Amino acid sequence: MSLVKTNFPSVLGVSSNVSTQELMILTNEKRQESGLGPLTIDDRLSQAAAGKASDMFSKDYWAHDAPDGTTPWDFIKGAGYNYIYAGENLARGFNSAQDVVNAWMASPEHRQNMLSSNYQNVGFAVATGKLSGEDTVLVVEMLGSTNLAGAPIAKEPAKSVAVAIVSQPPGASSESVASPTPIAQLVISPTPLVPQASPISNPKGLVIGAVSKVTPLINSQTFSSISAKIVLSLFIFVLILDMTVIERKKIVRFVGHNLDHVFFFSLMFLIIIILVRGSVI
Amino acid sequence: MNKKFKKHLGYYISLLIILLLGLSLIFLVTPNLMLQIMIALLTICFYILWGAIHHLINHELTLRIMVEYVLIGLLGASIIFFMIMGGII
Repeated sequence: MSLVKTNFPSVLGVSSNVSTQELMILTNEKRQESGLGPLTIDDRLSQAAAGKASDMFSKDYWAHDAPDGTTPWDFIKGAGYNYIYAGENLARGFNSAQDVVNAWMASPEHRQNMLSSNYQNVGFAVATGKLSGEDTVLVVEMLGSTNLAGAPIAKEPAKSVAVAIVSQPPGASSESVASPTPIAQLVISPTPLVPQASPISNPKGLVIGAVSKVTPLINSQTFSSISAKIVLSLFIFVLILDMTVIERKKIVRFVGHNLDHVFFFSLMFLIIIILVRGSVI
Repeated sequence: MNKKFKKHLGYYISLLIILLLGLSLIFLVTPNLMLQIMIALLTICFYILWGAIHHLINHELTLRIMVEYVLIGLLGASIIFFMIMGGII
């Protein structure tokens, strides 16, 4: 499979159906359902999210904090966003924006981040690249607020052990927030790339590496998942059929382990379902 | 088959416990992918071991039976590696 992916990237490879606009719409839908105001896209947070995704690919890690100690807050501050509140949600291995948002909503810590009244701005990045040697799709959501308007009294810095982190930096200023900017579409490549001119419809949008991006004909993730499920279903079917025929025709068999193997293959099927759900931290 | 199933009911229950324990652990350690894969491989090893012990107790253990369990286990492991190669994990 990797041979095909390397030689024919336009045929088989990892592609993402996750769009930042859809993530934005779905996030605001969830907030409105909870009686909260919508978040606005902030280019600086999108830039921070893009930087974080690129950093995870280049340093090969899957965590909130980089192995060298770089925190999500470094990316946010580095992008020029002086936050009072900030949070980060990460997801990998999902094929649609709906699945990403559903997974975040299913996790109490991520849900708390998405539905927090502390935040006013958000930035997203969807990046495709290699993590631990394997192709994957990363989604980074950076949430933030630069003022205390509508937010409860600031608490002590709360960088808890929970995977979704909310933190207040010591000595953060309460300067006024920049006006909301149009939605920025970010497409990132793990390799260093030259920023390209943004699309006409999105004058403030940032498109990085869009030129070198190849959209494969077949998504290797979907292909692997479906192929594995078909193979396992076939084995389960054949074993059950064999068991039924043996029973019906009264064929004497010294030992038969069909039931053991049916249990085993059913377990493998369930493991695949768990593994392809993607993961959030 | 029902007679045979009833005779080996205890074995099947123990097998289900092993498999369900493996599945639960995989679910619990989400999103630690490396740990999930390791638990899956460990569960496969336990399945092979269970097959060997089961047949050893029933005095049916032969090389052919052992090879059968090992091949089934390897098939399961290869499916997981196929998923990794596809970038699903």
